[in-house]
Amino acid sequence: MASVAESEFPLASRRRRRFTRQTVGRALAPYALLAPAATAIGVILGYPLYLLVKMSFEKYGLFELIRHKGRWVGTANYASILHDGQFWHVLLRTILFTVVNVTLTMVLGTAIALLLLQVSRWLRIAITTGLVLVWSMPVIVAVDIWRWMVDYEFGVANWTLTKLHIVNFIRHDWFANPWTGFAVITALIVWGAIPFITITVYAALAQVPQELLEAAAIDGAKPWAVFREVTLPLLMPIFVILTSLSIIWDFQVFQQIWVMLDFRPTSDYYTMAIYAFHQSFQISEYGLGASIAVVMVLFMFLATLVYLRQMLRTGEVR
Amino acid sequence: MKARLLVVAVLAAMLAVAATTASGGTSKAQAGKIVVWLQNDAQNGWPEAVALASRTFKAQHPDVDVDVQYQSWGTHLQKFDAGLVGGDAPDVIELGNTEMTKYMAAGAFKSLTQSAFPNNKTWLQGLKGSCQYNGKLYGVPYYAGARAVIYRKDQYKAAGIKSTPKSFAQFLADGKKLMKKYGKKDGGYSAIYFPGKYWYFAMSVVYDYGGKIAVRSGGKWKGTLNSPQALQALNQVKTMFKSLTRASKTTDEANPQQALVFAKGKVGSFVGNGWEWPYALDEKLGDPSLAPVVGAYPMPSHTAGKFMPTFLGGSDLAVPVTTKNQSLAVDWIKAFTSTAAESEIAKAGNIANTTKLLAFNASNPKLAPFARAAKYSWFVPTSPNWANVENANVLQDMLVKIATGRASVKAAANSASSQITRILNTGA
Repeated sequence: MASVAESEFPLASRRRRRFTRQTVGRALAPYALLAPAATAIGVILGYPLYLLVKMSFEKYGLFELIRHKGRWVGTANYASILHDGQFWHVLLRTILFTVVNVTLTMVLGTAIALLLLQVSRWLRIAITTGLVLVWSMPVIVAVDIWRWMVDYEFGVANWTLTKLHIVNFIRHDWFANPWTGFAVITALIVWGAIPFITITVYAALAQVPQELLEAAAIDGAKPWAVFREVTLPLLMPIFVILTSLSIIWDFQVFQQIWVMLDFRPTSDYYTMAIYAFHQSFQISEYGLGASIAVVMVLFMFLATLVYLRQMLRTGEVR
Repeated sequence: MKARLLVVAVLAAMLAVAATTASGGTSKAQAGKIVVWLQNDAQNGWPEAVALASRTFKAQHPDVDVDVQYQSWGTHLQKFDAGLVGGDAPDVIELGNTEMTKYMAAGAFKSLTQSAFPNNKTWLQGLKGSCQYNGKLYGVPYYAGARAVIYRKDQYKAAGIKSTPKSFAQFLADGKKLMKKYGKKDGGYSAIYFPGKYWYFAMSVVYDYGGKIAVRSGGKWKGTLNSPQALQALNQVKTMFKSLTRASKTTDEANPQQALVFAKGKVGSFVGNGWEWPYALDEKLGDPSLAPVVGAYPMPSHTAGKFMPTFLGGSDLAVPVTTKNQSLAVDWIKAFTSTAAESEIAKAGNIANTTKLLAFNASNPKLAPFARAAKYSWFVPTSPNWANVENANVLQDMLVKIATGRASVKAAANSASSQITRILNTGA
């Protein structure tokens, strides 16, 4: 209606018309509606982020902590951590850890989601209930239980493996060797992460049109080819989001390793989050800890930026 | 519409009530409560002393509550740091004597007047030193502890060990006898319970052989765990890990509590503090039936006639600088370090903070071995950065690598020494 009225007027008045209260109001309305949420996010996330970045450029030890004021040192913290051999070891270890965890989580989660499509209704309910129970368990409780399961002296894992005559694991210390230690931690994290992936992928699979799948099956395609050529491209946006989220979560893993190792992990078990915590709270160098945290944020931002740019640019994801 | 208005009115009333009681609650709590952080050793070992102190304090200040919160050694400093910033630091805090220097140097405590405290003229010299910085007093000595070997007299007798060992070599040989007698039948038996992260005992061996954790020369610290004497000692420690103990190589002496493991019966001896002897005999957690067969002796040195130096551990009580109840906090500390309370603490197996009560320990057969062991002692490098070395788990890391065989003794010691050098010299 407005455009018909506008076209009957000469050019000058039409330009003035563009900024009437109504049109301006309509243009600003989305921003006004977003403002409360954006302010809340800005305050809750933005302010601590600003403080973190500021602290990463300061010397902030216990002395400064008590006086609530740091001392500006420019990029000295960054230079210090980038020259520290341990930082690169920890970064490499965290990347490897993230890759393994995300791969296992996505593969197993998708596999279980596909399974849910095939089984009977009652089994589906049983599996979903199990997944939801795992998902709803508080992390600390779960870690404590796993810790008891792999306990050195009394753990049920050692007892079961010995009883089944697979290996003699009596008094086997799972954490003496970091590889087996991380295997336990990976199992714990993948176990806890699968429910979310499975339930989300299952919901997405329900959106795949049955006719496409049936058509592909009639054309003689094997199940794996159907999955690869039909299901996967349709699910790609969901997979991208889930993978990005999993990367962000697994890169920052802290609680499981920290509690599993009795709050004092040895340096072989350091991941980036634990390393940052260690620098900050254990040796009271909050400036160094902040700089490690900023590096972590940048890293994760870059990792997900690649996918996000693709998705926004092309409109469909490859 | 009316129902909706009613609901809104009820909600508003509830919020108003909650708001007033909440604010009323906090303003009352500030004047009427002090928060005390003690370590869980006090909870396990001498709860009567804590109760006595709180009763004395309550008699003095009837309208003030005492909230004693027990902390664990692994996390209390992080909580304290967070409390200092967040404004909910306690009014009284117990800190280990190795941790005091870092916090005193950073200005975390209020300075105190020595003459206000009981027995201040007879405080143990070593403990008093850990409370002073730049000529001022920032803490009150609480108690000291020395470690000795707590052992099973019946197992020693059955294995043919006629008397307690007089040299370290004899101790190792006796350990082998115990392993031969009990360790072959029972895969979980340990002649000495020695978990991988138990650095207090491992460093005692290092100091016995003449090694040191670090030395200071020309104003700079240098880690010396890779000196020949220290390496010799660490090789002995490795031998003990391999052949005399079946304890986990990745846990420490508090998780699980070694006294309780000893009480389960599969351990011949362990190196523990005085309070761990009665703790092993605890009714609920330990085994009271072992009372007649448990004894203690100071760990012998590798040089005949001396004892292996024991870590002179101890704790001090301090008043954080953020407190609003300084005089109340000081009164509680006075009650807790009074002669009566310190006697309770000494009865539990510790060394009280005053030389007046030393005779108390010497005459008690359950406490005498620990008092004798205190004759030879060692202490950590007195640097404000030492607490950071402890928090960085440098020593535990090194010992776990040695115990699990993941690094050679020399490589692990080199790595630990360079880390110690770096951490102790930060900010220098």
